[in-house]
Amino acid sequence: MPAILTADGVGKSYGSGSARMPIIDGLTLSIAKGEFVSLVGPSGCGKTTLLMCLSGLLAPSDGAVSFKGQVVDQPPIGLSVVFQDYSRSLLPWKTNLDNVLFGMRRVQGMDARAKRARAEEILAAVGLTGFGGHYPWQVSGGMQQRVAIARGIASQSELLLLDEPLAAVDAQTRADMQDLLLDVAQRFKQTCVLVTHDVEEAVYMANRVLVLGPRPTRVVREVVVDLPMPRDQLTTREAPGFLHARHEVLALIRGMRQGQKLS
Amino acid sequence: MKPTTRIALLGLSVPAAILILWQIAALLQPTPLFPGPGKVVLAIWKNYPVILHELGITLLRAGAGFAVASLTMIPLGIFLGRFRSLGKVLEPLMDMLATLPPPAIIPLVMLFAGTGDWAKVVIIAYAAAVPLLMNTYEASHSIHPMLSRVARSLHLSRLETMRLIDLPSSLPMIATGARLAIASSLLVSVTSEMLLSTNGIGTYLQRSQETFKIDAGLAGIAFISLAGVLVNAGVFRLEKKWLFWHYRDQRPTE
Repeated sequence: MPAILTADGVGKSYGSGSARMPIIDGLTLSIAKGEFVSLVGPSGCGKTTLLMCLSGLLAPSDGAVSFKGQVVDQPPIGLSVVFQDYSRSLLPWKTNLDNVLFGMRRVQGMDARAKRARAEEILAAVGLTGFGGHYPWQVSGGMQQRVAIARGIASQSELLLLDEPLAAVDAQTRADMQDLLLDVAQRFKQTCVLVTHDVEEAVYMANRVLVLGPRPTRVVREVVVDLPMPRDQLTTREAPGFLHARHEVLALIRGMRQGQKLS
Repeated sequence: MKPTTRIALLGLSVPAAILILWQIAALLQPTPLFPGPGKVVLAIWKNYPVILHELGITLLRAGAGFAVASLTMIPLGIFLGRFRSLGKVLEPLMDMLATLPPPAIIPLVMLFAGTGDWAKVVIIAYAAAVPLLMNTYEASHSIHPMLSRVARSLHLSRLETMRLIDLPSSLPMIATGARLAIASSLLVSVTSEMLLSTNGIGTYLQRSQETFKIDAGLAGIAFISLAGVLVNAGVFRLEKKWLFWHYRDQRPTE
């Protein structure tokens, strides 16, 4: 499978001179088309900064990010971002359907009616049939995040960058949303990069987990999760492969935390 | 009786009591310089075509000035909020203009632009511009950075971001600015007519005073208050209609 997104020696630091604070240093990764990759790391390692660099929202200080072979300097068409803060990322003066349609402004070769049908189809796929006419503030947090995911997919997306999308929803909704995300990613052929601090979630969702080191961060280990799709909340989480991967990732992160405490 | 009804009735009883006391005082003091409410009602009946005509001229000028200010200052405020460094450069100037009372520039503008309708519209537009610009700029430059990220990740151009994201998210604060600007427009419209004009309700009030027609003057004031109440009610309805998403299920605060 060809790489859809690559980062080559990416570095990012804020400030300059003695106040210079490096966040990312020499980070290299490659995401293949159709993969679901999780990025996990210790708290404060710069996961969100990395995702901003990968999406083109933030220019890296060193190295380069490429999407489908093109260097990324602006968010490219075909790449969409789902933010953690769904309540701020949706437009409260637009209905859920109009929010999804808003993501389709740059979609070409579709008339208004076709766009509407497509938006309704995607809303139905995220389980929001009948909620298109509601406003985001009239539905629950989990539903708002599903609208944001639908908007991302609707913008002719091939790659979804998910910045802790489920961190703000309650535990039960969270499990359902994990399965829903896996389902729509497959149905709409989305390559996914999920940034999360939840190791269980990282392993459950992904084909591959990239473990990030402490700040200034880089990829320190790749853990392949050799489990079949679709995943299942009960059996997957009990499978030896899941437990091994989880153990490996958790042990790594715990080691980093202890290393930080000692230093 | 419900407590809210009782409070409402009490609230009405205060102006009613004032009217009664005023009428009694006027009957005790029979002079045309101190007309009672009865005489004022009579004056309203006698003069309302003239008053409405003059008030119409005043409101038209106020409306034109407000419209000019809205059409220029709202886009400018949004623009300065998006191009932050330019906004920062102009901030001290805006602060200085904000503290200058608008009627202070009336004589100066009249010197250069004359005393015609357009000079008055310019002064009114200036008066309305300050609260509109300040509020629009403040709202647009304090928009949450998340919305800018959303705009960029949805591949919106800067112009589209200003039109489709910054403007709607700034509307609640723009509405507050618009209320202040409307009050300011009416104030300056009437004041400028009192200083130098041949028509408008300000001139009417001035002439009534100069010719000792106190009852006619009070009739004019009654119409100005009524116009103020009606304009406010209209703004309130528009806010409820356009900003429902901001107020959601609570009522907009007056």
